[in-house]
Amino acid sequence: MTPRTRAALRRCLASPRVVIGLALIAAAVAVAILAPFLAPHDPQEQDLLNTLLPPAWAAGGVADYPLGTDSLGRCVLSRLFYGARVALYVAALAATGAALLGAALALVAGYFGGWVDWLVSRLVDIWMAFPPVILALILLVGLGAGVNKVVLAIVLIDWTRFCRVLRSEVIVVRRRDYVAAARLAGFTHAQTILREVLPAVLPLLITLFSLEMGIAVIVEAIMSFVGLSVEPNVAAWGVMIADARQTMNQAPWGVVAPVLAIFVTVLAFNLTGDGLRRALDPRLVTSRGEA
Amino acid sequence: MSRIALLLLFRRTLLAIPILLCVSALVFVILRLLPADPVAMSLPPGASAADMEKLRQAFGLDRPLPVQYVIWLGKLATGDLGVSIYFRRSVAELIATALPATLELVAVGLALGVALGVAGGLAMFAWRGRAGEQALDLGAAGLMAIPEFLWAILLILLFGVAWPVMPFIGRLSPDIALPAPLTGFLLLDSLARLRLDVFASALAHLALPAVALAIGVAPLVMRVLRSSLLDVIQEDYVTQARLRGIPERTVVVRHALRNAALPTISLIGVQAGFMFGGTVLVEMIFAYPGLGNLMVDAVRNHDLPVIQAVGLVYCVLVLGINAAVDVLYLAVNPRLRTPA
Repeated sequence: MTPRTRAALRRCLASPRVVIGLALIAAAVAVAILAPFLAPHDPQEQDLLNTLLPPAWAAGGVADYPLGTDSLGRCVLSRLFYGARVALYVAALAATGAALLGAALALVAGYFGGWVDWLVSRLVDIWMAFPPVILALILLVGLGAGVNKVVLAIVLIDWTRFCRVLRSEVIVVRRRDYVAAARLAGFTHAQTILREVLPAVLPLLITLFSLEMGIAVIVEAIMSFVGLSVEPNVAAWGVMIADARQTMNQAPWGVVAPVLAIFVTVLAFNLTGDGLRRALDPRLVTSRGEA
Repeated sequence: MSRIALLLLFRRTLLAIPILLCVSALVFVILRLLPADPVAMSLPPGASAADMEKLRQAFGLDRPLPVQYVIWLGKLATGDLGVSIYFRRSVAELIATALPATLELVAVGLALGVALGVAGGLAMFAWRGRAGEQALDLGAAGLMAIPEFLWAILLILLFGVAWPVMPFIGRLSPDIALPAPLTGFLLLDSLARLRLDVFASALAHLALPAVALAIGVAPLVMRVLRSSLLDVIQEDYVTQARLRGIPERTVVVRHALRNAALPTISLIGVQAGFMFGGTVLVEMIFAYPGLGNLMVDAVRNHDLPVIQAVGLVYCVLVLGINAAVDVLYLAVNPRLRTPA
């Protein structure tokens, strides 16, 4: 680890945003992995004698169901825990895919310029003409529903978020002297891109990655809400909201719980991304102190 | 300025044409990947293979893909968007009734979001370095972590269920007959016909969905405006104005705000485009009869003619907003007015 990397890492860990964000993400990951041990019930187990129970602390609540039950008597807390699995699965996979595709195109377009750059930029223009939700709906009609299709759709839509931002950064970086020096020292284009250009845009990539995970959680929730993501019997936060919406009058808690789960998860990714940007962006570090 | 603006508008329109062609071809190809058969879905279960073939021919689905695309494009040029497989009505007609509803919602939502964002940005700037700024910043982070469609549900929960003060289904109360449309914009139509009861009902029905959309925009506007105000306030002309003894309020509004508005206007343009995406779910949740609701219905029923036409309409809207914002940008930024 170079001293510069260590300094950057120290700056990140000194940011309360990053620390709180990472702690919340760690908690969510722990809940998702340990769901079978933490959940008091099977997420599909129906208790038709105890439907629409309020949380345990409210009047009429039962200790056996800490956050109450839904209209089929399924344990809301257990479904919430298992829902974290779907959300984080999609977030991790989709953000990775979008980052790889977007970064690869940005590096190639920004580094080589010329017609490659022209082509990639026009592709981005076309993609940007769609509101993302519309493109996602159209893609899921074409690909068919399913959680892995949602991942694929997010990758195919959100690579532009990475590509646009990284491309302009790559254009700046490739003019630096050390990039020319690498070429003079006999590096191939691929070596120059991977060893000299990529590390320079890595902080930006990490920041975008964190924000993209938050976006992916939201898109998955939207698609499972509309019924285009997981199978209807799988516990996902969007499915829970769609189910509980029907009985919102009697059991508002069924809606509030998954909304809170989405809120906390997205907030965690946003805080981390925001904190990383402030800690890693050299312009912010020099010009406005802690900004 | 108006000539340059017109030129810019013309250029943007020219640039939009190839983009729209690519977009429509892309949508066309994606939709033909469809594993399910939309024709089979729209017929009763007992339909014969011959019936299905007949319908398939009627919709032109038996031809090769490029031929279908060219036919569709040719019809599009004459304003014919085809017939909905599910609703069995002309797609153009469906869009004509849904589009004004969505535009009205976006206009009100955007106006509200920008007003709240500008107010918040000015407040953050005025309270810079104090607790109020931190509180607003934290509030913005919280607002942004909940997407529009969840705000829609939360707002219904708060103001429709827990404290039932606002209507949250459709565009009008069911006891008010929909007046014959002039423009399709209910707020304008009701005013033109002096039907204040319709106006009040339409406005009340717009309130919650518009707030849900506004919450998506306001925090971003607020943050961008604040940071550009912070940049601008260090400029020499601001110091000059202060030295001339102009009151701080006037300095901010007349000198700083005008220059700080530029990045905010670009942001609003991008966000307005996204807001059309946000309306899809919000409309569905509020059973608001706009394009988004039409789109979700079409997606659920694999109604290809509607999906591709509505998809294209959304793209036209996004490109239109982008062009409009560019022109606005030019109008408020005198530095761009010298002809190149």
